[in-house]
Amino acid sequence: MPMLRRDVLKAASCGFGYLAFAGLASNAAEKSDRYESPLAPKSPHIEPRAKRIIFLCMRGGPSHVDTFDYKPELENYAGKSPGEASGLNAQKGRKLMPSPWKFKQHGDSGLPISELYPHLSKQADELCLINGAHTDLPNHPQALVQLHTGSFQFVRPSMGAWALYGLGTENQDLPGFITIKPPSRLGGAQNYGSAFLPAVYQGTKIDGVKSVDGGIGNIQNSQYDQAKQRKQLELMQSLNRDLASRFQANSELDGVIESYELAFRMQTAVPDLMDLTRESAEIHKLYGIGNGATDEFGRMCLMARRFAEAGVRFIELTHEGWDQHNGLRDRLGRNCKATDQPIAGLIADLKQRDLLKDTLIVWSGEFGRTPAVRREDGRDHNATGFSMWMAGGGVKRGFRYGATDQFGIAAEVDKFHTHDFHATTLHLLGLDHTKLTYRYGGRDFRLTDVYGRVAKDLLA
Amino acid sequence: MRIAISILCVTVYSVFTISLLNAEEPTKADIEFFETKIRPVLVKHCYKCHSSKSKEPKGGLLLDTRNGIRRGGDTGHGVVPGELDESQIISAMRYESLEMPPNEQLPASVIADFEKWVKRGAPDPREGRSLIQRKIDFDKARTYWAYQPIRKPSPPVLRDASWPRTKIDEFILARLEANQLQPATDAEPIQLVRRIYVDLIGLPPTPEQVDAFLADCGTSGTAGGTEIPQEAIERLIDGLLASPQFGERWGRHWLDVARYGESTGMERNYTYPHAWRYRDYVIASINADKPFDRFIVEQLAGDLLPAQTEDERYKNLVATGFLAIGPKSLNERNREQFAMDIVDDQIDVTSRAFLGLTVSCARCHDHKFDAIPQAEYYALAGIFRSTNTFYGTAGGGGNRQAGQLIGLRGMSASPVGVGGENAKAGQVIKQLTGQIKKLDAQLKRLKKKDTPANKTRAAKIEKQLIQLRKRLAASKKKAKPEASADKEPAVLVMGVQDGAKPSDTKLRVRGEPNDRGDTIPRGFLTVATKGTAANPPGDSSGRLQLAEWIVHPDNPLTARVAINRFWQNLFGRGLVVSLNNFGNNGELPSHPQLLDYLAADFVEEGWSSKRLIKQVMMSRVYQLSCQSDADLTELDPQNRLLSRQNQRRMEAEVIRDAMLIASGQLDLKPAEGSVVSQVGDGNVGRGLSADRFAVSSTKRSVYLPIVRAAVPEILRIFDFPEPSIIAAQRDVTTVPTQALYMLNSPFVLGQSKALAERVIENAGPSHRDRIVRAFRLTLSRPPSDDELARAEQYVTDGNDDQVWTELCHVLIASAEFRYIH
Repeated sequence: MPMLRRDVLKAASCGFGYLAFAGLASNAAEKSDRYESPLAPKSPHIEPRAKRIIFLCMRGGPSHVDTFDYKPELENYAGKSPGEASGLNAQKGRKLMPSPWKFKQHGDSGLPISELYPHLSKQADELCLINGAHTDLPNHPQALVQLHTGSFQFVRPSMGAWALYGLGTENQDLPGFITIKPPSRLGGAQNYGSAFLPAVYQGTKIDGVKSVDGGIGNIQNSQYDQAKQRKQLELMQSLNRDLASRFQANSELDGVIESYELAFRMQTAVPDLMDLTRESAEIHKLYGIGNGATDEFGRMCLMARRFAEAGVRFIELTHEGWDQHNGLRDRLGRNCKATDQPIAGLIADLKQRDLLKDTLIVWSGEFGRTPAVRREDGRDHNATGFSMWMAGGGVKRGFRYGATDQFGIAAEVDKFHTHDFHATTLHLLGLDHTKLTYRYGGRDFRLTDVYGRVAKDLLA
Repeated sequence: MRIAISILCVTVYSVFTISLLNAEEPTKADIEFFETKIRPVLVKHCYKCHSSKSKEPKGGLLLDTRNGIRRGGDTGHGVVPGELDESQIISAMRYESLEMPPNEQLPASVIADFEKWVKRGAPDPREGRSLIQRKIDFDKARTYWAYQPIRKPSPPVLRDASWPRTKIDEFILARLEANQLQPATDAEPIQLVRRIYVDLIGLPPTPEQVDAFLADCGTSGTAGGTEIPQEAIERLIDGLLASPQFGERWGRHWLDVARYGESTGMERNYTYPHAWRYRDYVIASINADKPFDRFIVEQLAGDLLPAQTEDERYKNLVATGFLAIGPKSLNERNREQFAMDIVDDQIDVTSRAFLGLTVSCARCHDHKFDAIPQAEYYALAGIFRSTNTFYGTAGGGGNRQAGQLIGLRGMSASPVGVGGENAKAGQVIKQLTGQIKKLDAQLKRLKKKDTPANKTRAAKIEKQLIQLRKRLAASKKKAKPEASADKEPAVLVMGVQDGAKPSDTKLRVRGEPNDRGDTIPRGFLTVATKGTAANPPGDSSGRLQLAEWIVHPDNPLTARVAINRFWQNLFGRGLVVSLNNFGNNGELPSHPQLLDYLAADFVEEGWSSKRLIKQVMMSRVYQLSCQSDADLTELDPQNRLLSRQNQRRMEAEVIRDAMLIASGQLDLKPAEGSVVSQVGDGNVGRGLSADRFAVSSTKRSVYLPIVRAAVPEILRIFDFPEPSIIAAQRDVTTVPTQALYMLNSPFVLGQSKALAERVIENAGPSHRDRIVRAFRLTLSRPPSDDELARAEQYVTDGNDDQVWTELCHVLIASAEFRYIH
């Protein structure tokens, strides 16, 4: 008969001390069914292509026709209205504006990418461009929340929470879902919330990459050093173990004991992980750290790699300010510059560490921007067609999936709705989006509600 | 008669619709194409599942009439003439969305025919209406336990008649005996006193309170085997029920269900600076032991109840804040969508909180599991659409749906604009006043010289002035009453009022706010009605009648749902585990007879919450130990049969309040208003920093600001429910962020220090005395010899000033501190 966790704890409380306890706990007790951490790794439904996700959220709606959706026809129709074409009524009273930037084909795959991304272009053969993306509403708050939770109308769990619920996480010293600099408005915590899923699955927010505790909160003790704290913890855990042995029916008490040990480990693991000075100068350079324009996002990308390497399941980075109703030339250029080298660095770095094969990188905004404009130097919201891209774990390399019409207004070929994005992403993680359900209020809920289609053609 | 008229209207309406669709009569060629290429395919491949003859039409889709095929089913329009992309039938045939017919895809040529047909406008000669009328067999539906009338069951026959102390115990023991389980032993007095304090007032007892109880029992607390005198327990319970802290504790339980929050949440998070009035109303109602049926009626229709005094009028109105405090999507552009979303929130909270039914599921289609047709959702929606919701929020800054509040002056209530809207009105008034002044002066000048030209101009100006004065009067009427100095400031209240013209609303096809179907007479839910429910009168919203229908003794759900919530708060789990879902998809009760006994008794005895709580706490099963032998744990690991009490993690509020009371820093004086009312109107996270709601108060946690998406850290960390969700049982998670909070947060460190100072002051220089005092202040018990020895060792090893803070910190952070057993 296997040793029950409870017996282990009893033994531990009889004076083996912490080290003996920890050793036993990792051998016998983890196999026991008495207490299972809700974050322990779980078996996926199908063979996973990716073990983890890095989601690069470009908040504001990046212009697809100026970045990843090459539309040469815009040149031929510059200044003309697209209104006559059927189904394009939303663009009435506007004039088509060709991209002010040049596109070139890159890599062996010849993917067309705009000159705004000189560094990323060198990674063209790693990218899977998705040009037929579309979503329901051209409003920031709804579209951003829908991108993250599948629903713009109701409070639903976020994609990361679903992933964690389905898969658990690999590193028990760290949170399984980390989001760096998420917007506090436009749905705010909803975008990384767990809604009705148990709270343990919600994302841990990190406000910046410069503070030591990374905004996790309470990661360091202002009063005692580690030795003192360990001693204090010994006394507390002995009380806790006494209690647990008196109340055998309650496995939560085991959870409390474990959570203190994890918290104690996190105090060391998190600041270490957040400490970018441990990385070499070459790595800093690769990500553009130290260079004014790219420093901040470079740090975020490097942090993402460190989290990915450490076994965090779902990592999200937000880059704000892609809402160019005016000042397109200047501001879109600036945004691309701030993110181009860091993202290219991330791909290169993951590749050289052999992590790209099972890390899925996703780049997306909440929607795209109108190819036809009302103002000379700005584009408005376009939800009917936009672009995103994926790279790494399980997607085709150097591939272009789906397409918009000749001007880039609406998705036409292999349309990829937000629900399809969710279904496909879960699929890559080894989860069947129709089977990943949670019963709440008498109904089984899914990230994709009753929708969603796995885009099989983009799978490697 | 009214019904007959409305049916007539429906018929006229539908004929009108059809004739619109037929603006262009199909040509002969069209009809021939339909008859040869389309109809035969439909008949052969589709009618089996999608016609009025099929047993149960799938997906709410009927394809045997023009009306049906165009209207579509649950997932979209079947056919949109001329629009291939929007015609679901085409994408389903192409196997792009649904795959239809399911067995085998139709040949490409057939699909091409259908495409051709849709492109030419889907000409269709088939007449007839095809509203899905799923026949719901209500009688059959009512055989489900939750819809059965509540009947007081006869007491069960028991083998061991000596064990039960109360009726409740008889029902519990009967189930235990049937399953050959022995109940656990009675809890020890020292455990029981802590359990009773926390359960009733949400605060652990002070050492003095423990001593007083033990003295009353005539025991030292831990001596096993001695039976606790029930009179002592009764005295304790009575005393706590009468304390004002009782309402703060049980009020918070209700605020969970009422999705209480002090901002709109969602994309634009505007504050509700007046929501706290509803919070205080709930606390006061519970302290006053307001009959629970009355409590329900006030929250749904307090504005429609007669009131004798200003105070009563105020309370009745504040109660309806229940319907106004839900989350709102203020940047919604579509007014109709926004209005229907408010209605949905109101139907959702009403049905789940009081009836334990998920009526909102019927917004887009008939309820999938319960006998709630979509039409009945809109019968309720008519009631709430005939109601105006006053939730305030300042306009501008992305708030496309700014609302008003109710200004209460004496016995009269009137709508009051807020912030932006009011400022706008002020601006208009200023502008108009200026214009009038200018014209007046001009008029004076003109009248001095009586020329014909001047006369014409003067007449023109006079006309203009009349118009301007009219506009000025209207703007003044719109503006906030406070703006006029001659009147006393109104009390501003969130709540509801009946609209000027109560009316029925139309069913919305697939829940689309602008896709209107038939008009549905206002009414209630058939499945939960004995016989046939009367429709509410046409001249009011029908809210009062709805409330009365809910609390009617014949309603099978209300009392059961209420009882179950009380039980949940005293055992950590309901007799029905799914607190907010008593429908077919909810859980079955573990003790149906007990539930019915308590529900019937509750109604008979006048819906008194205090009486019910006491009744449960005086039962033997409530007073059992949480400890059980391994056999019992093995046989009933979930403790569904209640052979013991459940060890329960305290709620976030209790954990915080317990720290404050241990350290001697708790301020028991109720808060006046809320931090949110002090901060005022604003958009949280945009213009209004969430830091403004940081907690520094030492008042009880129920008074902390509950701003959606900015809930105070300690509450958030310890599973405070998302305030946008109609919470059932709270989660109990055990995660490292909680451990980090207990180890390192400034609040916990500060409380530990304050507690240490108090311990030293109370206990004098003796280490032993200090340790005992610290244990008693935190865990409500003295340490065991072993614990005492370990603590002494720790203190001796530490030998610095900080060591007492460290020890107090250990006790506050220990698992036992946050559990009751």
